[in-house]
Amino acid sequence: MDLMEKLTILTNSAKYDASCTSSGVNRPGKTVAAGCCHSFSADGRCISLLKVLMTNYCIYDCKYCVNRSSNECRRTAFTPEELAELTMEFYRRNYIEGLFLSSGVIRSPDYTMEQMIQVLHLLRHRHDFRGYIHAKTIPGSSPELVRRLGLLADRISVNVELPSEQSLNRLAPNKKREAIFSPMKQICAETEQNRQELVIYKKAPRFAPAGQSTQMIIGASPETDYQIITLAEAMYGKYALKRVFYSAYIPAVEDSLLPALDAKPPLLREHRLYQADWLMRQYGFKSEEILSHDTPNFNPYLDPKCNWAINNMQEFPVDVNTAELETLLRVPGIGPTSARRIVIARRNGRLGLAELKRIGVVLKRAQYFIQTSDRTPSARPDKEMTVRALIDQNVYSFGMEQLSLFQDAPGPMPLPTSRDVKSITEAVEETVLCLASSL
Amino acid sequence: MSGFKPLTVPADVIYTYDGSFDGFLCCVFESVYTGELPFSIRREEDSPMTLYDVRSIVTDSAKAERVRASIPLKISERALELVITVFCSCLAEKELRILEFLLRAYREGGKLCFKLGDAAVAPLLSAEKHLLREAHHLKGFIRFADVGGALVAAITPKNYVLPFISQHFVLRYSNEQFMIFDKTNKSALVYQNGRAEILQIDHVAFPEISESEARYQALWKQFYNTVSIESRENPRCRMTHMPKRYWENMLEVSGLVHPAAERILPGGQIVSVL
Repeated sequence: MDLMEKLTILTNSAKYDASCTSSGVNRPGKTVAAGCCHSFSADGRCISLLKVLMTNYCIYDCKYCVNRSSNECRRTAFTPEELAELTMEFYRRNYIEGLFLSSGVIRSPDYTMEQMIQVLHLLRHRHDFRGYIHAKTIPGSSPELVRRLGLLADRISVNVELPSEQSLNRLAPNKKREAIFSPMKQICAETEQNRQELVIYKKAPRFAPAGQSTQMIIGASPETDYQIITLAEAMYGKYALKRVFYSAYIPAVEDSLLPALDAKPPLLREHRLYQADWLMRQYGFKSEEILSHDTPNFNPYLDPKCNWAINNMQEFPVDVNTAELETLLRVPGIGPTSARRIVIARRNGRLGLAELKRIGVVLKRAQYFIQTSDRTPSARPDKEMTVRALIDQNVYSFGMEQLSLFQDAPGPMPLPTSRDVKSITEAVEETVLCLASSL
Repeated sequence: MSGFKPLTVPADVIYTYDGSFDGFLCCVFESVYTGELPFSIRREEDSPMTLYDVRSIVTDSAKAERVRASIPLKISERALELVITVFCSCLAEKELRILEFLLRAYREGGKLCFKLGDAAVAPLLSAEKHLLREAHHLKGFIRFADVGGALVAAITPKNYVLPFISQHFVLRYSNEQFMIFDKTNKSALVYQNGRAEILQIDHVAFPEISESEARYQALWKQFYNTVSIESRENPRCRMTHMPKRYWENMLEVSGLVHPAAERILPGGQIVSVL
């Protein structure tokens, strides 16, 4: 089989993996510390790394996976040499920042890992490759191999795959919870140990300097959004993960345990999960502030931050000229960048609305929640106007198929379907009235 | 403190200069020492038909050096950095805006740079941000082709970004020879034998590409088209992250911008890159 065909098959098998970031290591020139997107595919996802599988042969039969052993498809494998060379040539032409290597399980987890390590070894030691490498560990492989992989890669990851043990047993019978969490624990411990070694000896070999991440599939199993973000929060805390990725389940194989083949991927839900994830990592929110046992699923119309804000109106208005950075971050329309800018700018003069606008605050949303030197919002803001400013227009562009997701959830009424309304404007009006009255 | 000069007075005059940074600094010198605020400052080549008096400012490196040295001394290092970056940007009337900023900063000091919401400072900061963002984008979006062992690429940026991406690529390809040709500003970053320099060039003719180069380009296009998930297709999202103005120099999407380009020019994909 020629390289073109192999690349096609092994890209196709790898493309459902969500992560493609290249952030977290600073080797000036060789990698960009904040990560670097080299292209964007037609689905709008960033292409930073050459994302391929070592092989799509697999001895496992995970129900949700395109590469499950019972799925009839063409199988192939890269040789370590040809993959290393392809990576080098792509990197040289500035197509990519590096390699994202994962694999189906061929023969045994250990054998597969050895193949992957061989690619990384060739890259780092024969080709002197200094770009980014993200490698996926194979569940069930020996700790020694995980260690060797970590010493060659920048980031390593173990996929939790599904958000609960029950779902894992049901849909991925060959993967055990233990096989996933023990390498995660090991990576966390190795990183910590490596940090201490680096203090003593600066040139100690670095273990996964960009940390570890994980991914779970959303919408193939019945967990609530609250369960998912609590799990993510726990992993951030316990295993010091750098990122958790959420991947909307895209039906690729027929199975009675899974959503039908023609089900649309829950993209809006995935979008909300990422928003909540950012709130937890960058904005200082706790999972129970975002969702709770009583409201276990996201509001489709409002992003989680706006949702929190209108349910906690007693926290507002916030005075931009005096409030702490953490408080500013809670205002809809103010993100980490504009919050930091506000703090710098107000040392050199008081801020009014005109100044905030020039700083980059989204006044459309923020105006109902802030007090400035030239304006104090009324004590009882107009609910309808507030809601109208906050409503997430994405809800309409993501399509009405999302309906089924939220239908069972308690909370706001279901989305108006395209048959009920003539235009998005009308849909927005209907939602505004509905939300405002429920406040 | 003898330092305070009277504010400059708006004058019906247009300065023209040679387009160099030194030339611009001489315009600042002229304004400060005549006490007049010109109506506009233009490059000589795009000097307009106008009813205003036009004064041609001669570049004098001694004067320029005095102005340059005064900025970190009387304002701050950050101010000099901001001025240089904005001068490379595509901000409309950038020369006049920088001059106005400098005149105020000489009086108010370095803290003016941190008045992020100030009507005179904010446009400079956003021009700076625009340039740095474009430079960051290009660090990813530039596509090199291997031509006889050397790497070549072309870009059409809005800002003059070459000085801002030079270090990145020099470190990335320290063992290679490469050239990045900026079609907008008619200049090229050339790196060979461990030395990088930016040259003024009107036109570059790249040779035909080899078979192996064509093969890697085909592999990359195939990867690009395969890695996208059909059921998630979202052209608007792609365009937000990767604005269309970059596409003409990116081989994986250049065909989508000018469908005709590849038909007109024989020899495979490279033609759209160069």
